Order: sequence, then structure tokens, then C-alpha cells
Amino acid sequence: MPTAVAMPKLGMTMEEGTVVNWLVALGEPTLQGHTVLVIESEKAEVEIEAAATGVLRHVYVPEGETVPCGTLLAAITPTADEPFDADAFHGAENRPEQPRVEPIAAAPISAAPAASPGATGEPRRAFAPAARALARKLAIDLDAVTGSGPRGRVTKEDVEAYAERRKALVTVADDVALEVPSQGEGEPVLLLPGFGVDVSAFARQVPVLAERMHVRGVNPRGVGLSDAPEGDRYDVATTAEDAATLVDGPAHVIGASLGAAAALELALFHPQKVRTVTLITPFLEADGRLIAVAEAWSRIAAEASSQTLASALLPWLFSPQTLTDDAIRARLSRGLAATVARVPAATLTRALAGLRAWSGTRLGDVASLSVPSLVIAGGADLLTPNAESVASALPSAKLVSIPNAGHAVALEAPDEVNRALLSHLA
Amino acid sequence: MDLPRDTLLGAYRGMRTIRAFEEKLQELVQAGRLAGFLHLYVGEEAIAVGVCSQLSNADVVGSTHRGHGHCIAKGVDVKAMMAELFGRSTGICKGKGGSMHIADMEKGMLGANGIVGGGIPLVTGAALTAQVKHTGGVAVAFFGDGATNQGQFHESLNMAANWKLPAVYVVENNGFGEFTPTEFVVPVRDIADRAISYGMRSDIADGMDFFDVYAKAGEAIEHARAGQGPTLLECKTYRFYGHFVGDPLVYRNKQEAEDWIQNKDPLDIFERKATEAGVLEADDLRTIDGEVAALINEAVDEAERAPLPDPAEVLTDVYVNG
Amino acid sequence: MARELSTGQAISEALHIAMQSDPDVILLGEDVAGGGTREGDDVDEMGGIVGVTRGLVKAFGPERVRDTPISEMGILGTAVGAAATGLRPVAELMFMDFLGVSLDPLLNQAAKLRYMFGGKARVPLTVRTLMGAGMRAAAQHSQSLYWITAGIPGLKTVIPSSPSDAKGLLLASIRDDDPVVFCEPKGILNQRGEVAEGDYEIPLGVANIVREGSDLSLIAFGATVRVALQAAKTLEQAGTSVEVLDLRSLSPLDEEAILTTLEKTGRVVVVDEATPRCGIASDVAALCVDKGFDFLNAPVKRVTAPHTPVPFSAVLEDAFMPSAQRVLDAVGEMG
Repeated sequence: MPTAVAMPKLGMTMEEGTVVNWLVALGEPTLQGHTVLVIESEKAEVEIEAAATGVLRHVYVPEGETVPCGTLLAAITPTADEPFDADAFHGAENRPEQPRVEPIAAAPISAAPAASPGATGEPRRAFAPAARALARKLAIDLDAVTGSGPRGRVTKEDVEAYAERRKALVTVADDVALEVPSQGEGEPVLLLPGFGVDVSAFARQVPVLAERMHVRGVNPRGVGLSDAPEGDRYDVATTAEDAATLVDGPAHVIGASLGAAAALELALFHPQKVRTVTLITPFLEADGRLIAVAEAWSRIAAEASSQTLASALLPWLFSPQTLTDDAIRARLSRGLAATVARVPAATLTRALAGLRAWSGTRLGDVASLSVPSLVIAGGADLLTPNAESVASALPSAKLVSIPNAGHAVALEAPDEVNRALLSHLA
Repeated sequence: MDLPRDTLLGAYRGMRTIRAFEEKLQELVQAGRLAGFLHLYVGEEAIAVGVCSQLSNADVVGSTHRGHGHCIAKGVDVKAMMAELFGRSTGICKGKGGSMHIADMEKGMLGANGIVGGGIPLVTGAALTAQVKHTGGVAVAFFGDGATNQGQFHESLNMAANWKLPAVYVVENNGFGEFTPTEFVVPVRDIADRAISYGMRSDIADGMDFFDVYAKAGEAIEHARAGQGPTLLECKTYRFYGHFVGDPLVYRNKQEAEDWIQNKDPLDIFERKATEAGVLEADDLRTIDGEVAALINEAVDEAERAPLPDPAEVLTDVYVNG
Repeated sequence: MARELSTGQAISEALHIAMQSDPDVILLGEDVAGGGTREGDDVDEMGGIVGVTRGLVKAFGPERVRDTPISEMGILGTAVGAAATGLRPVAELMFMDFLGVSLDPLLNQAAKLRYMFGGKARVPLTVRTLMGAGMRAAAQHSQSLYWITAGIPGLKTVIPSSPSDAKGLLLASIRDDDPVVFCEPKGILNQRGEVAEGDYEIPLGVANIVREGSDLSLIAFGATVRVALQAAKTLEQAGTSVEVLDLRSLSPLDEEAILTTLEKTGRVVVVDEATPRCGIASDVAALCVDKGFDFLNAPVKRVTAPHTPVPFSAVLEDAFMPSAQRVLDAVGEMG
């Protein structure tokens, strides 16, 4: 007796499904209880198990086709060669559900269309009237403001905070403004963050440096509130140029990871604007792991939450000892999640392209660096393990190597990093 | 007949004015020139005039939805009343009250009242004022038989009796409360007997006979003014028209109605008695009829030409301040 | 000179001053003298259901302080008539619940005579009435019905929250030439507070900031002002700066004060001891949304009694009445 394989009805509201993948080829054996195909319905993929052991004798619906629930997809026969009438079986077993006929609604009394919860079906965001009024007054796009009120309501305080942060926007080129939060007074310091993070990665450095210097964190294109121009790539050189626009006289430039690449560019090509340069966990040539992690970073950012992304990045950025303590790990994860949330997936794609384009291009140029330089390396850095060698490639660069610290050394060993910085910047 | 000639002429003029005013309203409504709820006093003129001709501006009167007669008898300006019915800004209430709320505080007219029984406590209060301030004034409430079933009636008379207020409560028993005969809803034959419950003085008058009303009202007024307390004065009468203008009157016995209207018209009775006693001549009365007719026509004419109120007046006169 | 009086004593003092200063002021109501005019050494006056009017008949005589029968409609109607013809009566409606048997003189006469007569009449009447829950007086003697009178054009409705306010508001009410319903919340009758000596008035239609703040506005009146202040203290400890606005007058309503505090804080909770439907809390909330929309940083919360009659048992009545905890809960919900 042949056994039917039909499109199942997996819920009250399911009306149809798509055949994604036949895991058993025509003529191949099936085992009862084992997956014979994968279907997709309402954005979820479901494995369908074979109801009988035998042979996949006939497939009626190929991969990629969408059919109503109850449609006959295939037939399993106990043996490969017993008589089987595919058409007759189809005639008997194919029971596609008729589409539900909606009762004809009475003509609505009012002509106004009902307010829909947003074209994409997402729940509408709530904005306190005071928030709307302030946003109107300040010409702020409310869609860009995060809500901290109940159920994500945007309050007046949220708009005020957003406006405050936007005060940090500085125009660096035509139509391009970058978010440059600043603090402190004194000699200028520029902080250039790495791939996929914003200047909050320097959270432990800013208060210390700001005690006696004018610290400016530069969120590059596409990061935080900075403009995100269209294009395939955000070049390292562009990041450097943007940063250069921000200072007239010589500044202390501190960059981490990809930010160090930009710092290096700045020091090489605008030496008059650079008093000292500090390269934290830098690279001249990205190794395969760095690229792979950066690719995974982009992918996860596109598909999952910032909490998920942060948890995936923790082992790549911090040393095992640091991650042993549950409380510290949780705290770092929370902080990292907030930071990475400020860098959208599109930016990551463009930044990665820029990283790859820059990688290996300055090997010959570094020898001409004329600015006092410091390299800070982490002894447990998985992503730029050759940071120390960058120091050797530079003429008279100081090196501070912090053992047991990972790639995010500025966050992991802030006191040591700050000591090294204060000493170099003095 | 020992009333002075002037008093009698004044009384006739009062009754004729009321009659002409009310008849004119009937005509205007039927011609579509006037709107609103109108309750006509035709047939009851002797009561209003019989009582109010003995009152001054210092005495206060309260009335009902059927209040034009009391207003005219108390001296409220007829033209201003007509203008009020036409909703004009020159109306006695600036067009804001209408038929059931005509009032003139200067003339001691505390208003017609749209709530059955609503005027009775107000008059009781006016009597309280007279007592507390020792003005020597009296307060008179006019109301119908139906109102004597209202709680406000009982509470007011009870209080007035307790405090011996200088009040007269005149019940105009016209045989019907709206469309219901009085005998269906009042278990006593003479409403005056209700005064017994309050230990209050009472009397009954023939409401179609000015002279009887005058005499008995006079006694009640004197009693009150002398500080001896209130009186419930029942005047038996009949409403020549319906409850309101437009009432089809199907609930009334036509024979009975005809009898009252033909044989017991208070104006006819007055004329007969006054002329038979030789105190007044028919000619005197016809002259008055003519003058009254002219006055009413002028009143209508002026009212129809008078300005309507400014819509902004909706918001005024709610409070004395604020 | 500051001395402490209870609210009842403050009201009594106001009546004394009013009657002293104007011979047209008379008192009428059930038991307002309550004896005191009877012969006999062993007989004394009650001075009203809670003793507020004690002493007045001795001071001003039985012509001006009159005990009435239990005839609420008659009492109020007579008072209206007296007011319209030259007296300045203060009528007592023993419990505001009795509005049920006495609404017509207020609704259809006092409120409307001036308007209907084209401005030619005035009704300088004051109706004093005991209202609100908290005395275990149960369903028919504990209602807060000020929303009825506040909603009637032509009447004014006021409600003090303290002994000092009671005295000043009552004097102003009596001297106002319009009909005023003067609510006496049971919840503050025995409250004691500083009351200045002498004759003073608190204007009708003006609300009072009893506590300044910048993060949150609690709008209250009558017995709920104390509840609001309690909640404010707790919130202050948690770092929220709370403003408390005492409405004092429900009609006329000080709309400007309401909108000003809304603009200042963006967050409003109204605390009203009446039942929730068609009431003052909703009126204030609607005003905020209508005229103060752009200032709203959170929904307007209304803390009221539940939509039920007033229960008898103490634990039930306490649950019925708005409390500081319910205010805190509302603040928690509003975000």
C-alpha cells in the first residue's frame, strides 16, 4: 500500500507551504520517522518525517513550489518495483485545502481607512506628544530616536538626549557630518574606534584623558549618528581624511584596530596635524581570522540581535581569564551589545570592504613615519596577534605589551592602557 | 359692590388684556408666525387679576408654565412680553427665557416656571425674605391642581405653615392636569382641604367670578400681611383651551367644555355684575376693548420688527461674576 | 496670628463672620440649630449633624438660624426664592447624597433664573453639604457628587482641602452673588491646621500649588490633597520632584493652573475621590489632552474610587478610597 506524503497543516492559520528541499532522492529509501523533506511556511522551515519505511516512489511537487495544505507531495511504496499508479494515487490522495472564502463585509459606514499598524505589519511605535512637539521644533526625524518609555514609547527626554548627541555632529566633507562627541579642555586628542564599534569603546579612556586634554571621539561614516553615504566601501584613507578635517594644529591621534589603520594614514599623510600617534592592537595586514571574524560580525549583525552579536564576539575580543568571571562577562556583554548596536549591518559591509582594500597596502610606507608613535598590544589578542611586529616596522615606535589582554585591550585592561597613553601624550 | 370705579376699570382692562393677548397667540401659532411651547390662560383671567390687583411691586408673585396671565396682571410690560415670545433682544428676558420663563423682578414677578411646582418653593423663599427683613410684603404662588401632587408643594406649604410665612398659595383648579382629569389623580374633591395637613388656613373661591376671588384673596393677603400665616386658596376654574396650543383636546367632554365657555366666561360675568350694579357702563368696557386690541396689535407689530439677539448673547448672563 | 482649628471649627468661624458682617445672611437646614431654641435648662443645641453650626442660633437668633423639616427640595427651593428676593441664605444639604431628592431647585431654578430672565435676577445662595467617604456612613451617605453640580452651568462648586481653605472659601462663597455649592469633605472634617484670625476670603476659580516640583504633577482636591502629598513624599525619596496642585474650585475650573503645571512637568496624575465615570478626573484629563497635548510626556492617569457604591466595612471603604499607594501605582504605570 503506498503512503502519501502531503503538505501538512501545521497550525490554524497555515494555508500553504513551500517545498524547500527533498532530502531523499527519487527512488531512494525512506525510513519511518526520518526527515524526507523540508518545507517552509510563515517564515519557518519545518522538517517533515516519512510516515513509512520504503522507497520514495513518486514526487509530485518539486523544490521551490508553493502549494495549499493537503496537497499530495510524494508517494512512498514499501518496495521499489511493486505496481504503482501515480495518477490514480494522486486522484485519490490529493486534497488541497480550498482557500477560505471571506464573508463579504458590510460596507463600512465611514469612508476613512482604518489606521494600519504600519505597512510592514510591525507594531506602531508610540511617541509622547511632548516628544513629537519637540522633534517638530528641532526638526528631528522621530524614526531615528530610540524610546526609553514603557513599551518603547519615545519620551521628550529621549528626544532631548538625541538632540544633545546630535550637537556632536560636525561636517567634514560635502553632505557628510560625523558624530564627534567631545569632552575636556587642553591639547586636542582624536580617538578613532575599530571595526564594528563606536567611540564608546574608549569609555574607560575618555574621562582620564579629558582631565587635561580636549578629547574628541570620531565616529566614522555609518557609525552612530554619523552620516552613512551610499557606496560599496568606506575607505581607510577617507576615515583618515575625515579625521584630519577636524583638527587644525597637531593633535594626539589614538586609534584601535581598524581605527589604528586610519590613525596610521593620518600620521603618514598629514604629519603636521599629528603630535603623537598611538596604535592599539593594530595590523598592517589582516590575517584570515580577522577577516573571517569581521565577515561573521557582519552576517550576525544582519540577522540577529545586538545581544546575540555581542555574545558571539566576546571570545574574540577578550582574554579567557577575563571571561571566566560570570558577572564581568555579563557586564562586558551588555556594554558590547550597546556599542555594536550603533553600527548597522550596511556600515559593516562597507567597512569590511575598506579593511580588505587597505590591508597590506602600507607595508612599505610605514618606515617613513615621522611622528612619535606608541603601539599597545594585548598578549592574548586573537585578531591582531602580530601587533608587536607593527611596532618593529615603525621607526622608533614605543611598544607596551599587556599580557593576558585580548584584542579589546582598552576595555579589558584600561588602567594599563591609560598609563601608557598618559605617558606617551605627556 | 363697594369697589371703587377705578379698581373695577383696572380689573376689566387687566382681564381683557390677558384675554386678547392669549387669543392673539393662538392666532399667531395657527398662522405659523410664532413657535415654542405655549400654554394659554384663557378662561382663568379672573383669578390672576382678582389676586394681583391687590398687590404692589413690593409683593412677589410666582407662576407656572401657564404664566402670561399672572405676568400681565402683575404689571409686566405687554410689549416686552410679546417681544420675548418672538425671541427678540427687546424681550423682557432678552429672548433668553421664552414663554415659560417670563419674569420681571422689578414688578415682583418671580417668573413663570417650566417645572410643575417649581415656583412654589421660590415663593415660599420670597415670603421668608419678607419675614426676615420685615418688609411687610406678601408672596403669592399661583399653581395648578396638578402641582398639588408634587413633593415641592407639600414641603413648601409645610415649611410656610411652620414659620407662619406671609404667603398665599393660590391653586387654580381647572379640572385637568395636562390631559388627565383632576378627579383621577387628586383623591380629595376640594384641594383646599389639603391645607388641613399643615394646620394652614384655606378657602375656596369661584375662579370665574372676579368679585369672589377678589374678596377671598383679599382676606388671605391681609391674614398674611398681618403676620398670621399662609393660606391655601383654591379657585375653581376651567381652561378654555387645551394644555398647550395645538392640543387636540380629545380628552375633554365637549358638552362640558361648551357649558363653561358659553355660560361661565369670567369677562361676561364681570361685565354683567358690574353693569347691573350700575358702577360701570358697557361703553366704558367697549372703549377698553378697543384700546386693548390696539395695544396687542402694536405689540405684535413691534415684536416682529424688533432685532433678534446677537448669537454672542448665548454666553452672557450665566453668572453675576465669572 | 496662627492657631490651629479643625475644619469644622473653621467653617463655624466663617459662618459667624459672614452672619456678623451681613444681616441678610441666614442659615437654614435640618438641625442647623438642632434645639437651642427650646425652653428648658436641660436642653441645648446640637448645631448640625457634626456640630458645625453650634452657637450660631444663640448668637444670631432663631429668625436667622432656622431648623427646617426634612424637606430637602423645600429647603433648597425656599433658599433659592429667598436668595432671588434679597436675602443671602446659606442652606445646608445635610449629606450630598440627598441631591437625589433636591436637585430641581438647584438644577432648574437657581442655576437658570439669571440666564432665563435675561440677567435680571441674581441668586446669591450658598449650599453647604457634607460629602465623601471615610466615616463608615455607607452607600447612601458617603458619595462625592460634586461632578453633578460642577457640570451644571449657572452653579459654582468649590471644595476646600484644609481648615484654612475652608474658612476663606466659605466666606467667598457666601459673598459671591451666584449660587455656590460648598462641599465639605468628611475626610478633612477633623483635620486640624493653622487658620488665620479675622475675615479673609479665598477667591473662587483659583487653584493652589501646595507643593512645587518639576518631574510630575499630582492634581487633587478636597480629601485627596493629603493623599497626593503623602505620595509626593515617597516619590521624592526615590528622586522624583513632585508638584501638587489643589484645584479648590471645580466650577469655575482653573484651567490655566492645570495647563501650567502640565507644561512644567509633562506628567499628570489626577486624584479624585468620586467614582470614575463622567467626573472631574476625566474632565481634567480631557483638558490636558485637548489644550495641552504637546506638553504630554506620558498618559494622564486618573486615580479615583472604583465604579461601585461606597461599601460599609472599614477594610472595604479603605480599599474604595484613593490612597497614596494607588497614586504610586499609577505613577509606575505611566512611564
